[in-house]
Amino acid sequence: MKTIEFKQLDETLYYKQMQNGLDVYILPKKGFSKTFVTFTTKYGSIDRTFVPIGESEQITVPDGIAHFLEHKMFEKEDGDVFQQFSESGASANAFTSFTRTAYLFSATDNIYKSTETLLNFVQEPYFTPETVEKEKGIIGQEITMYDDQADWRLYFGAIENMYHTHPVKIDIAGTIESIDKITADHLYTCYNTFYHPSNMLLFVVGNIDPTEMMAFIEQNQGKKEFSEPTKIQRHFDEEPTDVAVKERELKMDVQKPKVYVGLKAKQTDLSGEEMLKHELSVQIALESLYGRASNFYTEVYESGLIDESFAYDFSLEKGYGFALIGSDSRNPDQLAEKIKEVINNAATILTEDSIERVKRKKIGFYLRALNSMEFIANQFTRYKFNDMNLFDAVPVIEKLTLQDVVKALETIQGESQQTVFKVMPSSEQAE
Amino acid sequence: MFLTTKLAEGVHLHIRQTTQFKTVNFSIKWRAPLNQETAAQRAVLSNVLQHSNGKFKKSAEFRSYLDDLFGTVLYFDASKRGSEHTVLLNVETVNDQYLAHNKVFNEVLDLIHTAIFNPNFENGQFVPSIVEREKEMILHRIQSIFDDKTRYAQYRLNQIIRPNHPASISASGTLETVEQVTPESLTKAYESMINEDRIDIYVVGDIDVEAVQKKLTESLPFKDRTPKQPEQTTNESKPEREYTKEQQEMKQGKLHIGFSTPVRFGDEDYPKMQIFNGVFGGYAHSKLFMNVRERESLAYYASSSYNSMYGLVFVVSGIEPSNEKKATDVIYEQLEAIKNGEITDLELAQTKAMLINQLKESLDLARGQIEIFDQYKNLNEPFSVDTWNERWQNVTKEDVQKMAEQVKLEAVYFLCGKEA
Repeated sequence: MKTIEFKQLDETLYYKQMQNGLDVYILPKKGFSKTFVTFTTKYGSIDRTFVPIGESEQITVPDGIAHFLEHKMFEKEDGDVFQQFSESGASANAFTSFTRTAYLFSATDNIYKSTETLLNFVQEPYFTPETVEKEKGIIGQEITMYDDQADWRLYFGAIENMYHTHPVKIDIAGTIESIDKITADHLYTCYNTFYHPSNMLLFVVGNIDPTEMMAFIEQNQGKKEFSEPTKIQRHFDEEPTDVAVKERELKMDVQKPKVYVGLKAKQTDLSGEEMLKHELSVQIALESLYGRASNFYTEVYESGLIDESFAYDFSLEKGYGFALIGSDSRNPDQLAEKIKEVINNAATILTEDSIERVKRKKIGFYLRALNSMEFIANQFTRYKFNDMNLFDAVPVIEKLTLQDVVKALETIQGESQQTVFKVMPSSEQAE
Repeated sequence: MFLTTKLAEGVHLHIRQTTQFKTVNFSIKWRAPLNQETAAQRAVLSNVLQHSNGKFKKSAEFRSYLDDLFGTVLYFDASKRGSEHTVLLNVETVNDQYLAHNKVFNEVLDLIHTAIFNPNFENGQFVPSIVEREKEMILHRIQSIFDDKTRYAQYRLNQIIRPNHPASISASGTLETVEQVTPESLTKAYESMINEDRIDIYVVGDIDVEAVQKKLTESLPFKDRTPKQPEQTTNESKPEREYTKEQQEMKQGKLHIGFSTPVRFGDEDYPKMQIFNGVFGGYAHSKLFMNVRERESLAYYASSSYNSMYGLVFVVSGIEPSNEKKATDVIYEQLEAIKNGEITDLELAQTKAMLINQLKESLDLARGQIEIFDQYKNLNEPFSVDTWNERWQNVTKEDVQKMAEQVKLEAVYFLCGKEA
């Protein structure tokens, strides 16, 4: 077992790779009663075209399958896994993103029992044609629920505008039609390919003894048989740098228009510290340009172009990346123009002072976030899957310069990388 | 858990020293009786105070200063509990020991003083242009409920089930009452909040208790006051209608059902009612989840919540509109089952384990410690996890059955698409 110390943060992280390839990290937290555990596979909604384990031909599976699989992992021959967690007083959950599927629980008692439940249920698939059919009604309602959410439609509409081929533009849950095609065989194929321990990471944070917990996990893993790890072959079509659609709108039953300006990233092949530096630089640039202390924010707030829903965010993973900036607005076109004006003139707006201020803010953000076990476990896993280290964020921020920030921003700055998506009140409502 | 001292009549300081967190948390709560007018005034007030103050007259200056203090979080908000309205100021700042060369703690204490006692006044009242803009923000906040169908359905059910009652009054007031806010009325609301509200001040973190007590006594010079007591909530308000169906352009049907219970927070039966709600629809092992979702595949979510301040239980579920009757039947069947005593030992044990876990987990957060202490301090007994655990452990199947018998259906609200 290796130990990694973060002196300034007063934290020690324990790490060991299991024989089957599973990476296990343990972060003890004294003074807390809770323990939080996540078990994550590097498999999300974008992994739809790949070579199944043990085969040679590439296949494309129905959209929404990673999320469908996540739902079905909870059902076993002897019933629902939530029941076992509840019995131990553990709150269990799971989520599927573009690139990851995570299973997790938090609890204050019976930690070993729930850890065992977590490891076992994720490593023992049970799918039948009947249980798969039954789930279609449940997920169908989940999809319908998201269809009615204007903010979700705005988010996906903007991503759809940006991408020609990349599956990030496909809704994580798929559609009613695509999930209807899913079979138990599909689920086994995806499971066997992507749930190999060597493609997964277990993170334990909380009130635990790291040595004892590591031994417990090792024993559990030692009892199970897995095939030799193989490299997973995923396929993505070529994606141009330019956006697919410059401007589009959707009519919905809302009171006020909503708008996002999307900025498509052209640098999406980084990993490790380079990626960490790049990502933090872009985030700091956006905060300097659009944050609450910026001239832009003051102007659009005072002129009533935005309200409390104003937000901006940058997402980056291998193969895709984008910034989204927007708000509910009475005049979405004018707001979109203002947002673009700022990005197009960023080099004249960013200053040493504004960068230094935002760096301090960002350092404070990371230190606050380290109070949260959920943040640590989820973010550590995401960072690790991109060969980055969460605990390096603060020292990397400290070293960033104005040049770093300007240079990183250039990768999302081109006019052909910009798109606008709006959700407009349907005509019937406007009358 | 918290050390309480009286700063003035009606003003209390509660401090908790702990090394658990990398930050120091402050929370100041101003409480006054809840009604549509005060809610509107105080919602706008919390936004105006957050925007600027006498020292930082522009929002951007204020925000820049907070960024420089290592992203110290400072925000005002408006909320409600029972028949009281709360304006709160939350501040979270990084503990000095994690910063290489900087000391921010004292600056943060000064800033709290400024944010509260040095408002951005022009000619003795709030700046009209800022008041107008923040009124707009609150108006948007109220209107935006319409765009979130789940929130809208619950908002409508609240109005229907308890008209003219704290349960249906929003912490932001109404479009009409917000429109009526003026710089003059807002200045009065501010003065009344500072001088007449009941105030609780919380501090949690790795701090020197005596030094913070001394410093806060100086920087928060609140005067003695005799806070107004809210009128006691009664059950006089009755539902307008038993069944309401409304239509909008949407796909899913939002089924919201409201029940009443005589049991309130702090009553002897309160722990039993918590267990009832857990068995009924509070968790993933509950009857609603297991039957509406898992057995019948009718919904992605189906759950119940217990509002112990108003004695109401709400069931919510998102369904295919054509399944309205079936879903309603399955929901009522679950309540009937509990009334008939069909509760397994496992369901009871699971619910107890989940309740104790939830309580212990929330105590791992500084905000959780503040909220729980704030709520339970009114019960005239020292709060302890063990006491509540024991109360839950003592609850029997018969107790839960009795709780179910007292639960009364009051109103059903169904929101769905136009073609359904």
